[in-house]
Order: sequence, then structure tokens, then C-alpha cells
Amino acid sequence: MFKQLPAEKLRPDRLVMGLRFDLLSLFTTLALLSRTTTVLSDVILSRVDRRIDLTSQIARVTSTLKVENAGPGPVSEILITFPEVQAKNLAYLMAALNEGKGKVKNSGISLPIKAVNPEGMPPSLIFHSVSLPTALGEGDSLTLDVLAVFTHALRAFPEEITQADIQLVLFQDTAHYLSPYAVNIQSLTVKLPKSRIESYTKLENTNIHGSDIKYGPYENLPSFSYAPVVVHFETNQPFAVAQELVREIEISHWGNVQVTEHYNIVHGGAKSKGEFSRLDFQARPHLRGSSAFRNLVAKLPPRAHSIYYRDEIGNISTSNVWDDPKKTELLIEPRYPLFGGWRTTFTIGYSLPLQDFLFESEGKRFLDFSFGSPITDLVIDYLIVKVVLPEGSNDILISTPFPVKQGQETKISHLDFVGRPVVSLEKTNVVPEHNQNFQVYYKFNSLSMLREPFILISGFFFLFVAFIVYIHVDLSISKSSASYLAKMQWDEVRATIQEVQSIINQCLSTHEKLEASLRDLSRTGDVQACKTARKTADSLLKEYSKELKPLLSFLQSSPQATQILPKVEELVAKERELQERLITKHSTIVDCYEKKIGGRELENRVASQQQKVIVLKQEVEDLLDYIEEI
Amino acid sequence: MGSQAAAITSPVPVAWYPTLAILMLAVGLIVTASFFIYEATSSRRNRSLAKELTTGALASFFLGFGTLFLLLASGVYV
Repeated sequence: MFKQLPAEKLRPDRLVMGLRFDLLSLFTTLALLSRTTTVLSDVILSRVDRRIDLTSQIARVTSTLKVENAGPGPVSEILITFPEVQAKNLAYLMAALNEGKGKVKNSGISLPIKAVNPEGMPPSLIFHSVSLPTALGEGDSLTLDVLAVFTHALRAFPEEITQADIQLVLFQDTAHYLSPYAVNIQSLTVKLPKSRIESYTKLENTNIHGSDIKYGPYENLPSFSYAPVVVHFETNQPFAVAQELVREIEISHWGNVQVTEHYNIVHGGAKSKGEFSRLDFQARPHLRGSSAFRNLVAKLPPRAHSIYYRDEIGNISTSNVWDDPKKTELLIEPRYPLFGGWRTTFTIGYSLPLQDFLFESEGKRFLDFSFGSPITDLVIDYLIVKVVLPEGSNDILISTPFPVKQGQETKISHLDFVGRPVVSLEKTNVVPEHNQNFQVYYKFNSLSMLREPFILISGFFFLFVAFIVYIHVDLSISKSSASYLAKMQWDEVRATIQEVQSIINQCLSTHEKLEASLRDLSRTGDVQACKTARKTADSLLKEYSKELKPLLSFLQSSPQATQILPKVEELVAKERELQERLITKHSTIVDCYEKKIGGRELENRVASQQQKVIVLKQEVEDLLDYIEEI
Repeated sequence: MGSQAAAITSPVPVAWYPTLAILMLAVGLIVTASFFIYEATSSRRNRSLAKELTTGALASFFLGFGTLFLLLASGVYV
């Protein structure tokens, strides 16, 4: 049931021959080297176990080195070598001391590594030097775990396949560990995905266990020994390569971190040729389209919300989110499956709570965020991370666990005066091992947060001031036209009437006070208090009538008020009458109390006054209402 | 980082944003309404500039904060 490769296939041996020509020069240099250099014989690798994991598109080489110091003097640096063709694809290199016994992974902190160029070495070998925390004494040994991650190391062969073909890739490496030191015992295991193995180089001591190829053990090999092996196998893992990824992380001190990621993804495996039949693909995806991938999985931080997935056309609805206390899993399905060489662009965005990522220590605030992409097993050719800090941040410092290229720019966003500072970090050849946290330190004055509401408040206040100015400013062109003068006079009349109204209202409230004092009298029997209330009311009412006089005279003189004048005069007259009646009623009641006439007599005397008072009150109120409506 | 790093949160709890937005906008609109009523019912002589300006300032204060919290509550984290 396996498809035959096309007739005019190139045998992998021929390709390896071409590669072997490159390595020929490497061989000669290595041969020369192993004879000429003796300075690196103080370190011996007593045991080297290598595991090459080819189960995904990223080749991960884990080497466990047992280092022995055989020479004179302590050793503080260990050299790791790669041939140039391999070092070009090296994305990540990490070395750690293995403290425990047995197969304990990630047991130590990683040691600093730097690229070095020792003299006397040919340029086709790249050297990295691992600095040991404490120098290794003479005769001592330690165990070092080295992880090297290579991208684009799996070459598609054949390079173009049709929809129905399986995808075969080539991987080449050395069965003998390439090192400037002599190796006593070494072995190599190549772990392949559980699919067909087309061919592999057979050296001595080569075995296959399931889908693992074991080379070794090889004993007592000199330094710089190299035995090229080529493995040709089938892999259906998604070859998702992001040619460019721009991650924008925007911080708002009001409680939100907004992450926007723009992806430009291409299928980096064998290029698809021929036509694409959707019918075949949907009917039998495993036979017609095993090399394609349909979806990508992203692991976002926990408590991510407001996740969107869109591209230039609009929203893409084929996505799913699963929430977890530890992570938020996002599964996205592009609009079409990706075959070799096909590409797609999209944007993912999500919001995160601020307190998970922004911290304060020693007067500085810092953002702690992960550097790489959250999509699992994605190779990024060119990654740009932009951190947008709020307006008013200064003294910006970056701390990353690996070297990146930094830049600074400004972005103008909502409610900004001068723009927000943006720090951009660029890196090429990024793999998921780079998903470590980096920190951005900056200083921010908490009062600067009030800048934003202040802008809004001043905006609204400007509107109010503009309205006030419009009302106050007299914009009429002719100041002596009849209509203008009439309008002015009418304004004056209205103002006067309003004043009259307010005075009448004050009079009415004084009446209320009088009535209240009468009620108090009936309750407590305190005649003195009643009399004093009466006196104050009297004086107030006198004042009011004095104020009313000039207003009334003005109304009488102005021509505009002719219509309303009779009503106003009526109002004033009625109010005066009401006053008089109330006062007489009040004095009658006080008299009665003094003479201790109670009950029926009191009521009789008051009754007529009371009726008239009520009627007058009603009329006054009606007039007031009428005047208001003018 | 280390143990002495304290997490920074917003000065106002995020759960309050919608409530605060509605409250502040309501108060702001009421004060705006009283401002315009005063403008409409007072005559030229009786108007006092101080009263107008204070009412306008108070209204714009509440409206400004109300708009800010409205923006934050609807997801535009300014």
C-alpha cells in the first residue's frame, strides 16, 4: 500500500555523494587536526550518549557527556564543535550540569555558552565554549547535558511531491561524536516518527529497534572523528514555518495586557506539485494528503480572554478554545489545508489580566512575558516582539536570556499626547525552546495615569465654555434696529417679572410660617412665641412690599409689558389682601388664647376669615402659574 | 524577579468598571441637564458666570470620568 516513488527518482546515494564532496575537505582538515593539535588532550570524554529526536520538523540533539580531566591543571571550559553546514541551522544551544544519577532531565541550571574561535582551527568548524561554574580539578569528572536544536535540518527528498505521495525527508549527521577531545565510549540513537524508514546508512554496530536506529557503541575513537550517516524516512508531522511573525504586547495600567500576533506561515516540507483535488482530500485524507496539515495548536497563558482569529478577509470561525487553570488551549484551523509550499497569513489576538505579568520591585516596574510564539512546534524564521509601554514610561531596560537585536520607536494610540514608547526585539531562527520569559524594566509615575481622564475632562469642559461664550456674546449685527430693541426690552420685562415672582414666593413662605406658628400655638399654648413669629413676619412682609414697588413701576413704564401688567397687578393686589386676612386671623386667634376662649367660639370667629383665605390662596397660585407660562 | 516583586493591578478594581461608568455618566448628565436648565430659564441680568462655570466644570469632570470608565468597560483599554 505504499506508493512507489516516481520513476526518475534520484537515489539518495547520489545526493549523499554530492554532500560527501563537501565533507571531503572537512575530512582532510580533520585528519590534519587530529595530528597537529595536542593542546586539547587534557580533557577526555569517557562516555558520550547522543539522542537525535527527529519526531518533529525540528531536530533536537541531546548529548550526555561524561567529561574527565586527564591533563595537568584545572579545566574551566569545555568546547563543543559543529561543522559549518550544521551550525548554520543551529537555533538553540544549551548546556547544563547533570547533578543526579540516572536519567534525570533538566536537573541543573544552564551554563553560559559563547562562540569562540580558537587559533589553529579550520573555518569550516564552529566552536562553542561552555564555561564551568567551578573549575574541574585534575582527575575529576563531571556529567554535562548538551541540547542542540536545529531548524531546516530535515531536507525534503524528493523535493516535489503530488497530493497522493508520502513525504520523505533526509537527515544527515555523524555517527561518531565530532569533538576536539578523544572519546572512550560513545553511542548514538536516532529516534524517528513511527512511519516508514526508506533507507539509512549502515555502519558497524547498527541496529533498528522499532522506529529507533542505534549506532554504537564505538570505543576509543580519536578526536575529530567523523562518520557521516544519512537517514531517509517518512514524516507526516506538520512542517509549520513562520517566515515572519510580529508579536505586539500592549500594556495598559488600567488592568490589561493585549497581545496581537501577525503570522505568515508556510509549509516547509516537500513542495506540492500537480493539482489539488478537494474531493480526494476530503474523502481519503490519509491517502491523498498525508503530507498536509490542517490545524495548529497554540498554548496561551491561563485566564486569556477576548481571543480573536482573523485575517485580511475577516474573522475565521474555525477555531476552538479550551480553558484550564494552567493554560488556555487554542486550536485554529486555517481556511484551507496547507500542502508543501502553500502559505497563509492570519492574526491572533488575546487579552490577559495585568497582575499576572506586571510586577514592581525597587521602584521600577517590570513586565515578565514569554518571548516566543505560543504555537507548538513552530519554527520562526524572523521574529519581532514589540512591547508597547504606556505613555509616560521612561528609563526602559531589557533583559533577555539570549541575545536579541533591540530597537525603539513610538506608537500613537488612544488618548495619547506624544505617543507610547515601543521596544522592539528581533531574532532570527526561533524555536519553541526560546519560549522563556524576558523582562522589560521601566519607571512610571502613578499620577501619569490621570493624564487620560484629564484629556477627556478638558475636552468636555471646552464644549461647556464654548457654549457659555456663545450665550454671553452678543452677535447681532445691528444694535439699533427695532426688533433688536424690542427683544432687549422683552428680556428686561421677563427679568423683572421673574423677580416679582420670587418676591411673591417669599411672601407665600412667610404666610406658611405664620400658619405654622398658629399650629404650634394650638399644640403648645405658647402665646409669646406666636407673637414674636407674628412680629418677624410683619417686618419681612413690609420689606417685600418695598422691594415690589420699584419693580412694579418699571413694569408700568415699559411698553412691552402692557399685556402682562394687569395680571401682575392683580397678583400683587390679591397677595396683599391675603396678607391682611391672614394677619387678622392670626390676631383673632391669639386674642382668643389670651382671653382663654376656646373651642366653638374660636372657630366661629375664625371661620369666615379662613374661608376667604383659602379662596385667595387658590387665586394667587393660579395667577402665578399663568405668569410662569408666559 | 524574586519574592519581593509585588504584582501591579489597576487602581480601581476591574469588576467595578461598568457600574462606575453608568454612575458617573448618570451624574454627569444630570449636572449637564441642570446647567442647560439654568441657561434656558435665566435672563441676561440674573445670570452669574461663576455659577455657570462651576456647573460646567463639575459636569465635565463627571462626564470625563464616566467616558473613561465606559471605554475601559467596553474593552478599549486606553
